[in-house]
Amino acid sequence: MKARMGYSTSLKQEFLQKWIKGLHIYSNFKKDMSILERKKAIKLSADVAIASTRNSSTRWSRTLTANISKNVTNKILVEQIFSDPEVIKNKASNRLITCSNRIASRKILRRSHITQIRARKMGPYAVKASSIAKKLVKNRTQVLKSLVPGGENMDEISLIKETLDYIVSLRVQVDVMRRLASAAEHSTRSL
Amino acid sequence: MNRGALPEMIHCLTIPANIAGNNGRAGIAMRVLERQQQSGTHLNEDYQLRMFSVPSVEDQQFQGLVESDQGIGQLVAQAMKPDPGVEDGRNNFCRAESSLNYAGCVFGNGSKFEMNYPIPRTASCPPAVAAAMPEVAAVANKGKEAALLEKLGSAAGRESFKKRKSYKTRDLKVVAEEQSREKKAKGYIEEEDSKITEQNSNSKSTTTTTSNNNNKETSADNSKGNSKLSEIPKLDYIHVRARRGQATDSHSLAERVRREKISERMKYLQGLVPGCNKITGKAGTLDEIINYVQSLQRQVEFLSMKLAAINQSLEFDIENFIAKEMFPARISSIPTVGMSSDFINPSHLQFNSLPQGVSCYGLEMGVNLPDVILRRTISAPVSMPEIFLESSNLNQIQHSSWDPELQNLYGMEFHQGKSTSFNTQPFTGFTEAGDVKL
Repeated sequence: MKARMGYSTSLKQEFLQKWIKGLHIYSNFKKDMSILERKKAIKLSADVAIASTRNSSTRWSRTLTANISKNVTNKILVEQIFSDPEVIKNKASNRLITCSNRIASRKILRRSHITQIRARKMGPYAVKASSIAKKLVKNRTQVLKSLVPGGENMDEISLIKETLDYIVSLRVQVDVMRRLASAAEHSTRSL
Repeated sequence: MNRGALPEMIHCLTIPANIAGNNGRAGIAMRVLERQQQSGTHLNEDYQLRMFSVPSVEDQQFQGLVESDQGIGQLVAQAMKPDPGVEDGRNNFCRAESSLNYAGCVFGNGSKFEMNYPIPRTASCPPAVAAAMPEVAAVANKGKEAALLEKLGSAAGRESFKKRKSYKTRDLKVVAEEQSREKKAKGYIEEEDSKITEQNSNSKSTTTTTSNNNNKETSADNSKGNSKLSEIPKLDYIHVRARRGQATDSHSLAERVRREKISERMKYLQGLVPGCNKITGKAGTLDEIINYVQSLQRQVEFLSMKLAAINQSLEFDIENFIAKEMFPARISSIPTVGMSSDFINPSHLQFNSLPQGVSCYGLEMGVNLPDVILRRTISAPVSMPEIFLESSNLNQIQHSSWDPELQNLYGMEFHQGKSTSFNTQPFTGFTEAGDVKL
């Protein structure tokens, strides 16, 4: 366990640095936030930071940054946390184009799928166990796609790959946040 | 050569061995020889040693994932793949052996090796050094100086590990494959006369070291399929072979490759998600993964809420945090303590009493209870599981089995927490037990 901590420390440190930077930027934007606003700010900056640690090499991080930077103020934050904003812009625009392509192809796929289903319903045979299992797996894959950012447009292989990466990053995020929370808590208690 | 002369011999040969340790390839050759030598008499205790070092593999994989998630799925799959043609007793041994590569870095903590042999990691293996290796093994084989070779092996392993790190993961992959291949060869040869075995595997190891260099340069992509594919050194297309009775048209072949890829990655996901490796079936695994991702996402929400509640501004006292991080062992026990004493300290109560906080909190838990004490008891398990999830990842306790356990622990903890002085002893003991179990 200790060994694992050692491995991801560099990632954690990077995340922490960027996160703190993001928080700093946010606190310059606005003073006297309510608790909900603060929570939102913390979460957003943490998300941007964790996405930027992956250096937009993964699709989920790109989608996350793209989603966050829809808002104008957030966009500034994102650009400041990422050192070179040009890269993100390019990647984001590329992504959008590929998205539209994919949506079109998905529509075609769905249409063909519907015809398949019709053909199957015509048949007299009963529902098989294997088809039920397939359906279950499909449902779950859909849920997973909705959970991983940008997962809607992924095929199964890349979805699993991205999920792996996402889980590791989330773990780092949770770990750092928890440590910071406990540290902050201790400091407030001692004061 | 009698036994009295051996220590000197070995002492002399340590120097070429160290030079050899310079190079990743030679390090592996050495390990192979070492393994061969140990398989005679020292099998039992070495086996235990290896088993002890197994956990590091997982860690290694984690790091690999962090660095580049590409090759890791394959690597894991290969590490998991049992070797055909190896008898049952040896099977475990060999699998443990495959982790020696990584174990080297953990065992190599003995920094005296590093101090003694500060070696530049630039040279490629000269053939003379590789040729020197058989001699080392030959002497060691007769002498049975297991301890010395073990140390050497670990040093070499560490060196090779670093070397490999400086390369990309594909190098890692290739090395792992090479190892498994050699293992197979070894399994077959083992039956024969020991002298012949020695020569055979020595020649094999030298040839594979040379062929490995070719491999490394050319076959980055071929090796993705499975270990068999990468044995053909120069191919830029994926070579798939259908077994008997399987369809051979291109579509079903492609589909099969795709399915294999998916299942490989699923395997790795199972390793990553705690309590997932005992579940069979894709649907169940996916369920577990979904739950895990959701719980992590909720934790992020929860923690950001908590941080917002604790700090009135967005500036955090970083020095304090860094000071805490100096003692990771202490920190690791903090979550358990912090979480339990949380529910007593005033800052948390304040957090609970905030109207927005309560609504958010309640929604997150799916339970909205007016009673503060009840909320305390209910909110605790939500934050607690992660700690146990981490340990259950190591312990491989199943989800269903630790749930009631958790409740019990929490109950105990709550009673103790009421007196605000919380005893950390049982928890540290728990995690330590987890480590020892491995």
